[in-house]
Amino acid sequence: MSTTSDLRPAGPIVSAWKQIGQILRRQGIGQRLLFYIILFSSLVTLLATAVQLYTDYQRDVGQIKSRLADIESSYMASIGASLWNLDVNQLRLQLDGILHLPDIDAVAVYELSEGVDRPLSIVLGEFKKNQAIVREYAISRDFSGEMQQVGLLKVQASLQAVYARLWDKAIVILLSQGIKTFLVSLFILYVFYRLVTVHLGAIARHLAGYQVVEPGPALALQRKSRQPKDELDQVVDAFNQLTGNLEDAYQHMREINTALADDIIARREAEEEVKRLNAVLEERVIQRTAQLEAANRELASFCYSVSHDLRAPLRRIEGFRRILAEQLSAQGAAERSGHYLSRIETGTQEMNDMIDSFLQLSRSTQCELQVVSVDLSAIAESVLQELQQHEPQRRARFDVKPQVRVDGDRSLMTLLLRNLLHNAWKYSGKKDMAHIAFGFTQADNGSRTYYVSDQGDGFDMAYADRLFSPFNRLHTSEEFEGTGIGLATVQRIVARHGGRIWAEAEPGKGARFYFTLWDRNRDDKQGNDIAGGGQSG
Amino acid sequence: MTNRETILLVEDNPDEAELARLAFGRIEGDYDLHIVNTGEEAMRVLFAYGQCEESALGCKPALILLDIDLPRLSGFELLRQLRASADYQHTPVVFLTTSDESRDVARGYSLGVNSYLLKPLDFERFTELLQSVSNYWLKYNTRVH
Repeated sequence: MSTTSDLRPAGPIVSAWKQIGQILRRQGIGQRLLFYIILFSSLVTLLATAVQLYTDYQRDVGQIKSRLADIESSYMASIGASLWNLDVNQLRLQLDGILHLPDIDAVAVYELSEGVDRPLSIVLGEFKKNQAIVREYAISRDFSGEMQQVGLLKVQASLQAVYARLWDKAIVILLSQGIKTFLVSLFILYVFYRLVTVHLGAIARHLAGYQVVEPGPALALQRKSRQPKDELDQVVDAFNQLTGNLEDAYQHMREINTALADDIIARREAEEEVKRLNAVLEERVIQRTAQLEAANRELASFCYSVSHDLRAPLRRIEGFRRILAEQLSAQGAAERSGHYLSRIETGTQEMNDMIDSFLQLSRSTQCELQVVSVDLSAIAESVLQELQQHEPQRRARFDVKPQVRVDGDRSLMTLLLRNLLHNAWKYSGKKDMAHIAFGFTQADNGSRTYYVSDQGDGFDMAYADRLFSPFNRLHTSEEFEGTGIGLATVQRIVARHGGRIWAEAEPGKGARFYFTLWDRNRDDKQGNDIAGGGQSG
Repeated sequence: MTNRETILLVEDNPDEAELARLAFGRIEGDYDLHIVNTGEEAMRVLFAYGQCEESALGCKPALILLDIDLPRLSGFELLRQLRASADYQHTPVVFLTTSDESRDVARGYSLGVNSYLLKPLDFERFTELLQSVSNYWLKYNTRVH
C-alpha cells in the first residue's frame, strides 16, 4: 500500500473519503485529532446553543411579562367595574378576551367582598403549577377617596409554547451544528492528513529503511516546495543534515577502523616478532644455561682437582721436608739448612691454606642452600672462644648480641661469621686489647643490618672497592698473614642469601663490616658487592 | 697363622707409599705393612691367600687402607668388589685420601667403607693418625672371625 497511489486524482472526493476511512481505522494521530476536534467542537456548540436558548427564553418570558403588564393596564379598570356591577356576562367576555391573548391559558376572577355569602368566582382555563407564570392583580374600588380591594384577578401565562419553541430550536441548532462540526472535522482531518500525516509516514518509512552503510537518495517529500520553508521542510532538512553528518562520521569511523585494522595487523606482526625473538632468546638462555652448567661442572671438577691433585704433592713435599729436617738435625747440619727447610714449611702451609680458602670460596658459590633458622650469636660465641683458646695470651673483649637468629644455610653462615671474626681477630693482633663486637641495627621498616666490628688495624677506605674481590689483600703478608680469599667468600655467601655487604674502616682505628640478608628491593642497589664508602651508615 | 697382622695399603704414588712406609715405621704395633701400587695388584694379592706361601702377602690382611684415585680400578670399585666377596665382607677398609669432597665421602660410606680419613699436611700428625687407625682397628675393634 502506498500513499502516493491513493493520492491520484481519480475522483478526488471518493479518494479523499477512502483515505479518511483509512485514517479513521488507523490508530493514529488522525483518530485522536478527530476525537479532540469533535469533543471540543461539541462543547463549544453546546455552550453556544445554551447561550442562544437562554437569551431566547429570556426574550419570550419578557414578552409574556409585558403582555401580562398590558393586561393589567388595559383590563383592570373594566374588569373592576364589571365585578362591582356583578356583570357576570361582561366579566366572562372580558376574561375570554384575556384568554385569547397569546400564551395565556388560564384566567380567573374572585370576589373578595366581606359579608357576601357566595362570592363570585369565574375561572377560565386550567391553572397548573408547572411551566407557567401566574400573576394576581388586586381589583380595588375607590370609596370616597379610600381604595378598597373588592376582588382578585388571576392570570396564568403558560410557558409550554416557549419551551416547545426552545426545544425545536435546540434540536435544529444541535443537529446543524453537529453535522457542521463533523464535516469540518473530517475536512480538517483530511487536510491535516494531506499536509502532515502522509509526509510523516513517508519520513518514518524513509527513516526505517535508512542504512548508514548504503544511504541511498536523500529524504524528499512529494509535495510542492514552499518559501519560506515550513516545519516539515525543516524536519526534512534537519534529517538530511543529520544523515549527512552521520555518513561523514561513519566514513570517518571506517577510515579509523581501517587504520586500526592495519595497526592491529602491524601489532600482531610485531607480537609474532617478539614471540620469535623470545623463542630465540629462550633458546639462547637454554644454551647459555647449559654452558653455564657445564662451566660450573668444570669448575667443580677443577676444585676437586685442586683439593686432591694440588694437596697431595704438597703433602709429599711437607712430608719429605720433615724427614729431611729430622735427618739434618740428627747429623748436626748447619743452621742455615734448617732455616731453608723452615721456609719451605711456611710455604707449604701457606699454599695449603690457600687451597682450603679456594675450596671454601668455590663451595660457597656452588653448594645448594639449605635454609634453616640459624643462631648467629651462638656461632659467633663459639668461633671467638676458639680463637681465644688458640691464642690464650691475647687479651680480648667480645661483645656478642645474644639470640641473633636468621634464616640461612647453617654451614655457610658459620663460614661467613668465621671469616669475618677471624679477620677481626687477626687485624686486632697488634693491639694490646682486642675488642670485637657482633650484633645488628634495626631500621624503621624492620630491616636489620648485621655488623662485625673490631678496633684493630683498619684500612684505608680508598681501597674498599678491592676488599671483596679474590686475591686482593690490603696488607702485606709480613703485616698479617692471609690468603685474600676470605672476604670474597663472605661476599658470595651474603649474595647467595640475598643480601649486601660493605665495610667502613679507618687506618689504625678499626674496621666495621656490615651485611644484610634477604633484602626485598635490591634493584636500586644493584651492586651487592664492593659497596664501599658510598654506603656509609 | 702368625700373631703378626697384615695391613694392606693400596697407593699408586710411590712417594706417598714411601712416606706412608716411613710413617708406619715410626708407630708401634705387631703388624706387617704390605703396599701395592694398583687396584689390580691389590685384587690379585687379596684373592691369592689360598696360596699363602706364593703370595707376597703373608695372609688375609686385617686392615686395608685405600687411596681413592687409583688408575683403572679405582678405590671405590675395589671397595665394592671387596664388600661383594665373602672373604672381605667384614674386613675393615679405610679410605686414606686428600680429598674431603662430600660427594666422595658419602659414596665411600654408602659402599661400606669403615672410615674416611683425610691425610693431614703435617707429617707428624700423619704418623699420629696412622697410629690411631691401626690401634683402633687392630687392637680395640672387635672383629668377625
